[in-house]
Amino acid sequence: MEEARAIATHSLAVTRRQYLVWRKVIWSSLSTNVANPILFLFAFGFGLGAVVDRMAGLDYLAFVVPGMMAYSAMFAASFETTVGSFARLDFQKTWDATLATPVTLLELLLGEAFWATCKAMISAICVLVVGALWGGIGSAGGALLSLPMILLAALAFATCGLVATAYARSWEFFSYFFTFWITPMFVFSGVFFAVDRFPDYVEPIAWVLPMTHLIQVVRPLVAGHELALLEALGHVTYVAALGAVAFVVAYRRLRSRLFD
Amino acid sequence: MSAPAIIARGLEKSYGRVQAVRGIDFEVARARCVGLLGPNGAGKTTTMRMIMGLTTPSAGELRVFGEPVAKLTRRQKARIGLVPQENNLDPDLSVRQNLEVYGRYFSLPSALLAERIPALLAFMQLSERLDSGVNQLSGGMKRRLVLARALISDPELVILDEPTTGLDPQARVMIWKRLLDLKRQGLTLLLTTHYMDEAQRLCDEIIVIDHGRILDRGPPQDLIDRHVKGHVFEVQKPLPSGFRDGQWEHEDIGDAILYYVETPRAFTEDLPEDVVYWHRQANLEDVFLRLTGRQLREK
Repeated sequence: MEEARAIATHSLAVTRRQYLVWRKVIWSSLSTNVANPILFLFAFGFGLGAVVDRMAGLDYLAFVVPGMMAYSAMFAASFETTVGSFARLDFQKTWDATLATPVTLLELLLGEAFWATCKAMISAICVLVVGALWGGIGSAGGALLSLPMILLAALAFATCGLVATAYARSWEFFSYFFTFWITPMFVFSGVFFAVDRFPDYVEPIAWVLPMTHLIQVVRPLVAGHELALLEALGHVTYVAALGAVAFVVAYRRLRSRLFD
Repeated sequence: MSAPAIIARGLEKSYGRVQAVRGIDFEVARARCVGLLGPNGAGKTTTMRMIMGLTTPSAGELRVFGEPVAKLTRRQKARIGLVPQENNLDPDLSVRQNLEVYGRYFSLPSALLAERIPALLAFMQLSERLDSGVNQLSGGMKRRLVLARALISDPELVILDEPTTGLDPQARVMIWKRLLDLKRQGLTLLLTTHYMDEAQRLCDEIIVIDHGRILDRGPPQDLIDRHVKGHVFEVQKPLPSGFRDGQWEHEDIGDAILYYVETPRAFTEDLPEDVVYWHRQANLEDVFLRLTGRQLREK
Protein backbone atom coordinates (compact mmCIF):
# COMPACT_ATOMS: atom_id res chain seq x y z
CA MET A 1 0.00 0.00 0.00
CA GLU A 2 2.78 2.35 0.97
CA GLU A 3 4.65 1.35 -2.17
CA ALA A 4 1.58 2.05 -4.31
CA ARG A 5 1.38 5.50 -2.82
CA ALA A 6 5.08 6.09 -3.46
CA ILE A 7 4.65 5.01 -7.08
CA ALA A 8 1.72 7.38 -7.47
CA THR A 9 3.56 10.30 -5.87
CA HIS A 10 6.66 9.87 -8.00
CA SER A 11 4.67 9.36 -11.21
CA LEU A 12 2.69 12.49 -10.52
CA ALA A 13 5.91 14.41 -9.85
CA VAL A 14 6.89 13.54 -13.44
CA THR A 15 3.45 14.55 -14.71
CA ARG A 16 3.75 17.79 -12.82
CA ARG A 17 7.00 18.60 -14.59
CA GLN A 18 5.23 18.33 -17.95
CA TYR A 19 2.41 20.46 -16.64
CA LEU A 20 4.86 23.21 -15.60
CA VAL A 21 6.32 23.23 -19.10
CA TRP A 22 2.88 23.25 -20.70
CA ARG A 23 1.77 26.16 -18.54
CA LYS A 24 4.34 28.34 -20.29
CA VAL A 25 2.73 27.66 -23.65
CA ILE A 26 -0.82 27.38 -22.39
CA TRP A 27 -2.31 29.99 -24.74
CA SER A 28 -0.77 28.67 -27.92
CA SER A 29 -1.69 25.16 -26.85
CA LEU A 30 -5.31 25.98 -26.04
CA SER A 31 -5.81 28.16 -29.09
CA THR A 32 -4.61 25.44 -31.45
CA ASN A 33 -6.78 22.94 -29.64
CA VAL A 34 -9.79 25.16 -30.27
CA ALA A 35 -8.83 26.32 -33.76
CA ASN A 36 -8.29 22.82 -35.10
CA PRO A 37 -11.87 21.57 -34.67
CA ILE A 38 -13.23 24.91 -35.93
CA LEU A 39 -11.22 24.53 -39.13
CA PHE A 40 -12.34 20.95 -39.53
CA LEU A 41 -15.96 21.81 -38.93
CA PHE A 42 -15.76 24.55 -41.54
CA ALA A 43 -14.43 22.06 -44.02
CA PHE A 44 -17.07 19.48 -43.16
CA GLY A 45 -19.90 21.88 -42.62
CA PHE A 46 -19.55 23.72 -45.87
CA GLY A 47 -17.59 21.18 -47.87
CA LEU A 48 -18.36 17.57 -47.17
CA GLY A 49 -21.50 18.33 -45.18
CA ALA A 50 -23.06 19.91 -48.24
CA VAL A 51 -22.70 16.63 -50.11
CA VAL A 52 -23.17 14.16 -47.26
CA ASP A 53 -26.42 14.72 -45.51
CA ARG A 54 -26.67 11.80 -43.14
CA MET A 55 -24.31 9.06 -42.08
CA ALA A 56 -25.22 5.88 -40.21
CA GLY A 57 -28.56 7.33 -39.28
CA LEU A 58 -27.11 10.55 -37.90
CA ASP A 59 -27.00 14.10 -39.10
CA TYR A 60 -23.48 14.44 -40.53
CA LEU A 61 -22.43 17.06 -37.98
CA ALA A 62 -23.59 14.85 -35.12
CA PHE A 63 -21.72 11.98 -36.75
CA VAL A 64 -18.44 13.77 -37.21
CA VAL A 65 -18.11 15.65 -33.88
CA PRO A 66 -17.69 12.52 -31.71
CA GLY A 67 -15.25 11.16 -34.29
CA MET A 68 -13.22 14.32 -34.02
CA MET A 69 -13.26 14.19 -30.23
CA ALA A 70 -11.78 10.72 -30.38
CA TYR A 71 -9.31 11.62 -33.08
CA SER A 72 -8.01 14.73 -31.34
CA ALA A 73 -7.54 12.79 -28.10
CA MET A 74 -5.74 10.01 -29.95
CA PHE A 75 -3.48 12.42 -31.78
CA ALA A 76 -2.61 14.47 -28.69
CA ALA A 77 -1.76 11.41 -26.59
CA SER A 78 0.24 9.77 -29.36
CA PHE A 79 2.18 12.90 -30.18
CA GLU A 80 3.09 13.53 -26.55
CA THR A 81 4.57 10.09 -25.89
CA THR A 82 6.40 9.89 -29.22
CA VAL A 83 7.81 13.21 -30.35
CA GLY A 84 7.59 14.69 -26.84
CA SER A 85 8.94 11.71 -24.92
CA PHE A 86 11.65 10.95 -27.45
CA ALA A 87 12.95 14.51 -27.12
CA ARG A 88 13.19 14.03 -23.37
CA LEU A 89 14.82 10.63 -23.76
CA ASP A 90 17.27 11.35 -26.53
CA PHE A 91 17.94 15.00 -27.12
CA GLN A 92 17.26 16.73 -23.81
CA LYS A 93 18.42 13.80 -21.64
CA THR A 94 15.62 14.64 -19.24
CA TRP A 95 14.99 10.96 -18.59
CA ASP A 96 18.60 10.36 -17.69
CA ALA A 97 18.45 13.17 -15.16
CA THR A 98 15.15 11.90 -13.76
CA LEU A 99 16.33 8.31 -13.38
CA ALA A 100 19.32 9.48 -11.33
CA THR A 101 16.80 10.37 -8.61
CA PRO A 102 14.59 7.97 -6.61
CA VAL A 103 12.14 8.03 -9.55
CA THR A 104 12.07 4.59 -11.21
CA LEU A 105 11.56 3.83 -14.89
CA LEU A 106 8.07 2.54 -14.11
CA GLU A 107 7.12 5.84 -12.48
CA LEU A 108 8.74 7.87 -15.23
CA LEU A 109 6.71 6.07 -17.90
CA LEU A 110 3.49 6.27 -15.88
CA GLY A 111 4.10 9.98 -15.38
CA GLU A 112 4.63 10.48 -19.11
CA ALA A 113 1.50 8.49 -19.95
CA PHE A 114 -0.59 10.40 -17.38
CA TRP A 115 0.44 13.71 -18.83
CA ALA A 116 -0.23 12.58 -22.39
CA THR A 117 -3.68 11.58 -21.17
CA CYS A 118 -4.22 15.01 -19.64
CA LYS A 119 -3.32 16.65 -22.94
CA ALA A 120 -5.62 14.31 -24.79
CA MET A 121 -8.48 15.24 -22.48
CA ILE A 122 -7.85 18.95 -22.92
CA SER A 123 -7.93 18.40 -26.65
CA ALA A 124 -11.10 16.31 -26.60
CA ILE A 125 -12.89 18.75 -24.32
CA CYS A 126 -12.00 21.65 -26.63
CA VAL A 127 -13.59 19.72 -29.50
CA LEU A 128 -16.60 18.98 -27.33
CA VAL A 129 -17.07 22.66 -26.51
CA VAL A 130 -16.67 23.77 -30.11
CA GLY A 131 -18.95 20.95 -31.29
CA ALA A 132 -21.58 21.90 -28.73
CA LEU A 133 -21.55 25.54 -29.80
CA TRP A 134 -21.82 24.36 -33.40
CA GLY A 135 -24.81 22.28 -32.49
CA GLY A 136 -23.23 18.89 -33.10
CA ILE A 137 -23.85 17.35 -29.67
CA GLY A 138 -27.01 15.33 -29.35
CA SER A 139 -26.81 14.68 -25.62
CA ALA A 140 -24.79 16.74 -23.19
CA GLY A 141 -25.08 14.03 -20.54
CA GLY A 142 -23.97 11.39 -23.02
CA ALA A 143 -21.04 13.56 -24.06
CA LEU A 144 -19.92 13.84 -20.45
CA LEU A 145 -20.34 10.08 -20.05
CA SER A 146 -18.09 9.52 -23.04
CA LEU A 147 -15.20 11.32 -21.36
CA PRO A 148 -14.12 8.44 -19.09
CA MET A 149 -13.98 6.18 -22.15
CA ILE A 150 -11.86 8.76 -23.97
CA LEU A 151 -9.63 8.96 -20.91
CA LEU A 152 -9.08 5.22 -20.88
CA ALA A 153 -8.38 5.15 -24.61
CA ALA A 154 -6.02 8.13 -24.35
CA LEU A 155 -4.03 6.22 -21.77
CA ALA A 156 -3.83 3.31 -24.20
CA PHE A 157 -2.78 5.56 -27.10
CA ALA A 158 -0.14 7.07 -24.83
CA THR A 159 1.33 3.67 -24.00
CA CYS A 160 1.26 2.66 -27.68
CA GLY A 161 3.26 5.82 -28.37
CA LEU A 162 5.73 4.79 -25.68
CA VAL A 163 6.28 1.53 -27.56
CA ALA A 164 7.31 3.52 -30.65
CA THR A 165 9.60 5.70 -28.50
CA ALA A 166 11.13 2.60 -26.93
CA TYR A 167 12.12 1.30 -30.36
CA ALA A 168 12.97 4.64 -31.98
CA ARG A 169 16.63 5.27 -32.73
CA SER A 170 16.07 8.61 -34.46
CA TRP A 171 13.33 11.04 -35.39
CA GLU A 172 12.89 9.37 -38.78
CA PHE A 173 11.48 6.34 -37.03
CA PHE A 174 8.35 8.26 -36.17
CA SER A 175 7.42 8.68 -39.81
CA TYR A 176 6.63 4.94 -39.71
CA PHE A 177 4.59 5.47 -36.60
CA PHE A 178 2.56 8.25 -38.15
CA THR A 179 2.15 6.56 -41.52
CA PHE A 180 1.31 3.08 -40.27
CA TRP A 181 -0.47 3.85 -37.01
CA ILE A 182 -1.91 7.37 -36.88
CA THR A 183 -3.01 7.72 -40.50
CA PRO A 184 -4.77 4.33 -40.60
CA MET A 185 -6.76 5.38 -37.54
CA PHE A 186 -7.64 8.59 -39.30
CA VAL A 187 -8.74 6.69 -42.38
CA PHE A 188 -10.16 3.35 -41.21
CA SER A 189 -11.59 3.90 -37.75
CA GLY A 190 -14.77 5.68 -38.67
CA VAL A 191 -13.87 9.25 -37.87
CA PHE A 192 -15.46 10.68 -41.00
CA PHE A 193 -17.56 7.81 -42.28
CA ALA A 194 -19.00 4.61 -40.95
CA VAL A 195 -16.72 1.59 -40.80
CA ASP A 196 -19.28 -0.62 -42.53
CA ARG A 197 -18.86 1.39 -45.72
CA PHE A 198 -15.55 -0.34 -46.30
CA PRO A 199 -15.27 -3.53 -48.33
CA ASP A 200 -15.33 -6.64 -46.15
CA TYR A 201 -11.59 -7.26 -46.37
CA VAL A 202 -10.79 -3.82 -44.94
CA GLU A 203 -13.03 -4.16 -41.92
CA PRO A 204 -10.70 -6.46 -39.95
CA ILE A 205 -8.02 -3.77 -40.19
CA ALA A 206 -10.45 -1.28 -38.75
CA TRP A 207 -11.26 -3.56 -35.83
CA VAL A 208 -7.63 -4.07 -34.92
CA LEU A 209 -7.21 -0.36 -34.42
CA PRO A 210 -8.18 0.80 -30.89
CA MET A 211 -9.60 4.01 -32.31
CA THR A 212 -12.43 2.10 -34.00
CA HIS A 213 -13.50 0.69 -30.63
CA LEU A 214 -13.30 4.08 -29.00
CA ILE A 215 -15.54 5.65 -31.61
CA GLN A 216 -18.04 2.84 -31.36
CA VAL A 217 -18.61 3.79 -27.74
CA VAL A 218 -18.27 7.56 -27.98
CA ARG A 219 -20.49 8.17 -30.98
CA PRO A 220 -23.76 6.75 -29.68
CA LEU A 221 -23.16 8.39 -26.29
CA VAL A 222 -22.54 11.85 -27.73
CA ALA A 223 -25.41 11.49 -30.17
CA GLY A 224 -27.68 10.47 -27.32
CA HIS A 225 -28.39 7.05 -28.79
CA GLU A 226 -28.71 3.85 -26.90
CA LEU A 227 -25.50 2.00 -26.20
CA ALA A 228 -25.46 -1.81 -26.20
CA LEU A 229 -23.88 -2.46 -22.84
CA LEU A 230 -22.27 -5.80 -23.55
CA GLU A 231 -20.85 -4.57 -26.83
CA ALA A 232 -19.49 -1.47 -25.13
CA LEU A 233 -17.88 -3.63 -22.50
CA GLY A 234 -16.11 -5.55 -25.27
CA HIS A 235 -14.74 -2.32 -26.73
CA VAL A 236 -13.56 -1.10 -23.33
CA THR A 237 -11.84 -4.42 -22.63
CA TYR A 238 -10.08 -4.43 -25.97
CA VAL A 239 -8.74 -0.89 -25.55
CA ALA A 240 -7.69 -1.49 -21.94
CA ALA A 241 -5.94 -4.75 -22.79
CA LEU A 242 -4.08 -3.20 -25.70
CA GLY A 243 -2.95 -0.31 -23.53
CA ALA A 244 -1.75 -2.65 -20.79
CA VAL A 245 0.18 -4.87 -23.22
CA ALA A 246 1.73 -1.82 -24.87
CA PHE A 247 2.86 -0.51 -21.49
CA VAL A 248 4.55 -3.79 -20.61
CA VAL A 249 6.27 -3.96 -24.00
CA ALA A 250 7.46 -0.35 -23.76
CA TYR A 251 8.65 -0.81 -20.20
CA ARG A 252 10.64 -3.96 -20.94
CA ARG A 253 12.18 -2.59 -24.09
CA LEU A 254 13.21 0.67 -22.40
CA ARG A 255 14.55 -1.13 -19.36
CA SER A 256 16.93 -3.14 -21.47
CA ARG A 257 17.73 -0.20 -23.72
CA LEU A 258 18.57 2.14 -20.85
CA PHE A 259 20.11 -0.11 -18.23
CA ASP A 260 21.80 -3.04 -20.00
CA MET B 1 33.28 4.55 11.47
CA SER B 2 30.52 3.06 9.34
CA ALA B 3 30.98 0.93 6.23
CA PRO B 4 32.63 2.46 3.16
CA ALA B 5 30.31 4.52 0.97
CA ILE B 6 31.12 2.38 -2.05
CA ILE B 7 32.55 -1.13 -2.35
CA ALA B 8 33.21 -2.72 -5.75
CA ARG B 9 34.44 -6.29 -6.08
CA GLY B 10 35.20 -7.85 -9.46
CA LEU B 11 32.86 -5.33 -11.03
CA GLU B 12 32.29 -5.85 -14.76
CA LYS B 13 30.19 -4.31 -17.46
CA SER B 14 29.85 -5.35 -21.09
CA TYR B 15 27.82 -3.69 -23.81
CA GLY B 16 27.29 -6.51 -26.27
CA ARG B 17 30.83 -7.61 -27.11
CA VAL B 18 32.48 -4.47 -25.81
CA GLN B 19 33.87 -4.87 -22.31
CA ALA B 20 33.77 -1.43 -20.75
CA VAL B 21 34.73 -2.48 -17.22
CA ARG B 22 36.73 -5.70 -16.75
CA GLY B 23 36.71 -6.61 -13.11
CA ILE B 24 37.64 -3.75 -10.83
CA ASP B 25 37.91 -3.67 -7.05
CA PHE B 26 37.87 -0.49 -5.07
CA GLU B 27 36.45 1.17 -2.02
CA VAL B 28 35.49 4.72 -1.29
CA ALA B 29 35.65 5.51 2.40
CA ARG B 30 33.22 8.02 3.85
CA ALA B 31 34.08 11.70 3.93
CA ARG B 32 36.86 11.20 1.40
CA CYS B 33 37.34 12.45 -2.12
CA VAL B 34 38.41 9.74 -4.52
CA GLY B 35 39.42 10.50 -8.11
CA LEU B 36 38.83 8.06 -10.92
CA LEU B 37 41.34 8.97 -13.62
CA GLY B 38 41.72 7.45 -17.05
CA PRO B 39 41.70 8.31 -20.75
CA ASN B 40 38.43 8.54 -22.65
CA GLY B 41 36.83 5.13 -22.91
CA ALA B 42 38.64 3.79 -19.84
CA GLY B 43 35.40 2.86 -18.12
CA LYS B 44 35.02 5.78 -15.70
CA THR B 45 31.56 6.92 -16.73
CA THR B 46 30.30 3.34 -16.92
CA THR B 47 31.51 2.76 -13.37
CA MET B 48 29.73 5.90 -12.17
CA ARG B 49 26.54 4.96 -13.96
CA MET B 50 26.60 1.57 -12.26
CA ILE B 51 26.94 3.24 -8.87
CA MET B 52 23.97 5.48 -9.69
CA GLY B 53 21.88 2.49 -10.73
CA LEU B 54 21.66 3.89 -14.27
CA THR B 55 23.46 0.88 -15.71
CA THR B 56 23.18 -2.70 -14.50
CA PRO B 57 26.53 -4.42 -13.79
CA SER B 58 27.24 -7.55 -15.85
CA ALA B 59 29.14 -9.29 -13.06
CA GLY B 60 30.72 -8.69 -9.67
CA GLU B 61 29.54 -6.96 -6.58
CA LEU B 62 28.74 -3.31 -6.09
CA ARG B 63 27.57 -1.94 -2.77
CA VAL B 64 26.63 1.59 -1.86
CA PHE B 65 26.14 2.37 1.84
CA GLY B 66 26.68 -1.36 2.41
CA GLU B 67 23.69 -2.35 0.29
CA PRO B 68 23.85 -3.96 -3.20
CA VAL B 69 23.02 -1.23 -5.72
CA ALA B 70 20.05 -3.11 -7.15
CA LYS B 71 18.49 -3.27 -3.68
CA LEU B 72 18.92 0.36 -2.69
CA THR B 73 15.73 1.73 -1.23
CA ARG B 74 14.38 5.06 -2.33
CA ARG B 75 15.65 6.62 0.85
CA GLN B 76 19.15 5.29 0.23
CA LYS B 77 19.07 6.40 -3.40
CA ALA B 78 18.15 9.86 -2.24
CA ARG B 79 21.46 10.02 -0.38
CA ILE B 80 23.39 10.02 -3.66
CA GLY B 81 23.77 13.10 -5.85
CA LEU B 82 25.00 13.07 -9.43
CA VAL B 83 26.78 15.62 -11.57
CA PRO B 84 26.71 13.93 -14.97
CA GLN B 85 29.24 14.57 -17.69
CA GLU B 86 26.67 16.13 -19.98
CA ASN B 87 24.60 18.96 -18.57
CA ASN B 88 21.13 17.45 -18.60
CA LEU B 89 19.38 20.40 -17.05
CA ASP B 90 15.79 20.83 -18.07
CA PRO B 91 15.87 23.40 -20.89
CA ASP B 92 12.09 23.90 -20.66
CA LEU B 93 12.26 25.14 -17.07
CA SER B 94 13.76 28.09 -15.19
CA VAL B 95 16.67 27.79 -12.75
CA ARG B 96 14.30 27.68 -9.79
CA GLN B 97 11.98 25.18 -11.44
CA ASN B 98 14.87 22.92 -12.33
CA LEU B 99 15.68 22.58 -8.65
CA GLU B 100 12.07 22.46 -7.57
CA VAL B 101 11.06 19.73 -10.02
CA TYR B 102 14.15 17.76 -9.14
CA GLY B 103 13.46 18.18 -5.44
CA ARG B 104 10.02 16.67 -5.91
CA TYR B 105 11.55 13.57 -7.43
CA PHE B 106 13.17 13.17 -4.03
CA SER B 107 9.79 13.70 -2.33
CA LEU B 108 11.02 16.84 -0.60
CA PRO B 109 8.19 18.91 0.86
CA SER B 110 7.53 22.37 -0.58
CA ALA B 111 8.45 24.17 2.64
CA LEU B 112 11.86 22.50 2.68
CA LEU B 113 12.44 23.31 -0.98
CA ALA B 114 11.47 26.93 -0.44
CA GLU B 115 14.24 27.09 2.10
CA ARG B 116 16.85 24.98 0.39
CA ILE B 117 16.69 26.31 -3.17
CA PRO B 118 17.78 29.88 -2.33
CA ALA B 119 20.46 28.52 -0.01
CA LEU B 120 21.89 26.26 -2.71
CA LEU B 121 21.78 28.99 -5.33
CA ALA B 122 23.60 31.31 -2.94
CA PHE B 123 26.17 28.59 -2.26
CA MET B 124 26.77 28.25 -6.01
CA GLN B 125 26.61 32.05 -6.58
CA LEU B 126 23.54 31.84 -8.77
CA SER B 127 21.09 33.80 -6.62
CA GLU B 128 20.53 36.48 -9.26
CA ARG B 129 19.60 33.89 -11.85
CA LEU B 130 16.68 32.41 -9.95
CA ASP B 131 14.18 33.04 -12.72
CA SER B 132 16.47 32.80 -15.75
CA GLY B 133 15.88 30.14 -18.35
CA VAL B 134 18.55 27.48 -18.40
CA ASN B 135 19.59 28.38 -21.93
CA GLN B 136 20.38 31.93 -20.85
CA LEU B 137 23.10 30.67 -18.50
CA SER B 138 26.79 30.55 -19.39
CA GLY B 139 28.62 27.22 -19.42
CA GLY B 140 30.02 27.84 -15.96
CA MET B 141 26.63 28.79 -14.55
CA LYS B 142 25.03 25.67 -16.01
CA ARG B 143 27.69 23.55 -14.40
CA ARG B 144 27.14 25.27 -11.06
CA LEU B 145 23.43 24.70 -11.39
CA VAL B 146 24.00 21.00 -12.08
CA LEU B 147 26.06 20.87 -8.91
CA ALA B 148 23.35 22.70 -6.95
CA ARG B 149 20.83 20.21 -8.32
CA ALA B 150 22.99 17.29 -7.20
CA LEU B 151 22.88 18.72 -3.67
CA ILE B 152 19.11 19.24 -3.51
CA SER B 153 18.48 16.15 -1.41
CA ASP B 154 21.35 16.94 0.98
CA PRO B 155 23.23 13.81 -0.16
CA GLU B 156 26.03 12.01 1.66
CA LEU B 157 27.71 10.83 -1.53
CA VAL B 158 28.18 12.96 -4.63
CA ILE B 159 29.34 11.49 -7.91
CA LEU B 160 30.97 14.04 -10.20
CA ASP B 161 31.70 13.12 -13.80
CA GLU B 162 34.11 15.76 -15.13
CA PRO B 163 32.58 18.60 -13.11
CA THR B 164 34.79 21.33 -14.59
CA THR B 165 35.40 20.26 -18.18
CA GLY B 166 35.16 23.19 -20.55
CA LEU B 167 35.04 25.88 -17.86
CA ASP B 168 37.22 28.96 -17.57
CA PRO B 169 39.81 29.04 -14.76
CA GLN B 170 37.66 31.32 -12.59
CA ALA B 171 34.72 28.94 -12.73
CA ARG B 172 36.95 25.96 -12.06
CA VAL B 173 38.48 27.56 -8.99
CA MET B 174 35.02 28.43 -7.72
CA ILE B 175 33.82 24.85 -8.12
CA TRP B 176 36.94 23.49 -6.46
CA LYS B 177 36.28 25.69 -3.46
CA ARG B 178 32.76 24.40 -3.20
CA LEU B 179 33.84 20.80 -3.50
CA LEU B 180 36.39 21.30 -0.74
CA ASP B 181 33.63 22.90 1.38
CA LEU B 182 31.50 19.82 0.82
CA LYS B 183 34.34 17.53 1.78
CA ARG B 184 34.84 19.49 4.96
CA GLN B 185 31.15 19.06 5.73
CA GLY B 186 31.74 15.30 5.63
CA LEU B 187 30.39 14.45 2.18
CA THR B 188 31.95 11.62 0.22
CA LEU B 189 33.00 12.58 -3.30
CA LEU B 190 33.83 10.37 -6.24
CA LEU B 191 35.17 12.39 -9.12
CA THR B 192 36.49 11.95 -12.63
CA THR B 193 38.49 14.61 -14.39
CA HIS B 194 41.00 15.09 -17.17
CA TYR B 195 42.66 17.90 -15.25
CA MET B 196 45.44 16.42 -13.18
CA ASP B 197 45.90 19.59 -11.15
CA GLU B 198 42.25 19.29 -10.18
CA ALA B 199 42.67 15.68 -9.08
CA GLN B 200 45.83 16.50 -7.17
CA ARG B 201 44.16 19.39 -5.40
CA LEU B 202 40.89 17.71 -4.48
CA CYS B 203 41.49 14.00 -4.09
CA ASP B 204 42.69 12.07 -1.07
CA GLU B 205 43.08 9.03 -3.23
CA ILE B 206 43.44 8.41 -6.94
CA ILE B 207 42.45 5.34 -8.89
CA VAL B 208 43.99 5.15 -12.35
CA ILE B 209 41.89 3.10 -14.71
CA ASP B 210 42.35 2.15 -18.36
CA HIS B 211 40.72 -0.33 -20.69
CA GLY B 212 38.32 -1.23 -17.89
CA ARG B 213 41.05 -2.22 -15.43
CA ILE B 214 42.66 -0.50 -12.47
CA LEU B 215 46.32 0.26 -13.14
CA ASP B 216 47.25 1.66 -9.75
CA ARG B 217 45.82 3.59 -6.84
CA GLY B 218 46.91 5.60 -3.86
CA PRO B 219 47.24 9.13 -2.51
CA PRO B 220 48.47 11.50 -5.25
CA GLN B 221 51.90 11.96 -3.70
CA ASP B 222 52.42 8.22 -3.27
CA LEU B 223 51.64 7.66 -6.95
CA ILE B 224 54.08 10.38 -7.92
CA ASP B 225 56.81 8.91 -5.71
CA ARG B 226 56.13 5.42 -6.97
CA HIS B 227 56.03 6.05 -10.71
CA VAL B 228 57.87 9.25 -11.48
CA LYS B 229 60.09 9.65 -8.42
CA GLY B 230 59.56 13.35 -7.68
CA HIS B 231 61.59 15.15 -10.34
CA VAL B 232 61.46 15.11 -14.09
CA PHE B 233 64.32 16.08 -16.35
CA GLU B 234 63.35 16.51 -19.94
CA VAL B 235 66.59 16.22 -21.91
CA GLN B 236 66.62 17.29 -25.56
CA LYS B 237 67.93 14.91 -28.17
CA PRO B 238 70.53 14.22 -29.43
CA LEU B 239 72.12 13.08 -26.19
CA PRO B 240 75.87 13.63 -25.86
CA SER B 241 77.76 10.40 -26.54
CA GLY B 242 79.43 10.24 -23.13
CA PHE B 243 76.16 10.27 -21.20
CA ARG B 244 75.36 6.97 -19.48
CA ASP B 245 71.66 7.05 -18.68
CA GLY B 246 71.31 3.41 -17.73
CA GLN B 247 71.01 4.03 -14.01
CA TRP B 248 68.04 6.45 -14.31
CA GLU B 249 64.49 5.54 -15.02
CA HIS B 250 63.61 7.09 -18.33
CA GLU B 251 61.12 7.26 -21.14
CA ASP B 252 61.71 8.23 -24.78
CA ILE B 253 59.06 10.69 -25.94
CA GLY B 254 60.38 11.34 -29.43
CA ASP B 255 62.46 14.50 -29.56
CA ALA B 256 63.40 14.30 -25.90
CA ILE B 257 63.93 11.82 -23.11
CA LEU B 258 62.24 12.09 -19.72
CA TYR B 259 64.26 11.04 -16.69
CA TYR B 260 62.45 10.33 -13.45
CA VAL B 261 64.76 11.19 -10.61
CA GLU B 262 64.53 11.16 -6.84
CA THR B 263 67.44 13.47 -6.00
CA PRO B 264 68.08 16.08 -8.67
CA ARG B 265 71.68 16.78 -7.68
CA ALA B 266 72.82 13.22 -8.32
CA PHE B 267 71.40 13.48 -11.81
CA THR B 268 72.78 16.91 -12.72
CA GLU B 269 76.24 15.91 -11.54
CA ASP B 270 76.14 13.11 -14.07
CA LEU B 271 74.93 15.36 -16.87
CA PRO B 272 77.42 16.74 -19.44
CA GLU B 273 77.53 20.54 -19.50
CA ASP B 274 76.34 21.19 -23.04
CA VAL B 275 73.05 19.31 -22.64
CA VAL B 276 69.80 21.20 -23.01
CA TYR B 277 67.32 20.16 -20.37
CA TRP B 278 64.31 21.27 -18.45
CA HIS B 279 63.86 20.35 -14.80
CA ARG B 280 60.54 20.38 -12.98
CA GLN B 281 58.66 18.75 -10.11
CA ALA B 282 56.99 15.54 -11.12
CA ASN B 283 53.20 15.71 -11.05
CA LEU B 284 50.17 13.56 -11.46
CA GLU B 285 50.13 14.18 -15.19
CA ASP B 286 53.47 12.39 -15.47
CA VAL B 287 52.05 9.46 -13.53
CA PHE B 288 48.98 9.39 -15.73
CA LEU B 289 50.93 9.42 -18.97
CA ARG B 290 53.40 6.81 -17.73
CA LEU B 291 50.62 4.48 -16.68
CA THR B 292 48.24 4.93 -19.58
CA GLY B 293 50.70 5.65 -22.40
CA ARG B 294 50.95 8.57 -24.77
CA GLN B 295 48.92 7.41 -27.73
CA LEU B 296 45.76 9.29 -28.59
CA ARG B 297 42.63 7.40 -27.66
CA GLU B 298 40.17 8.84 -30.11
CA LYS B 299 40.64 8.37 -33.80
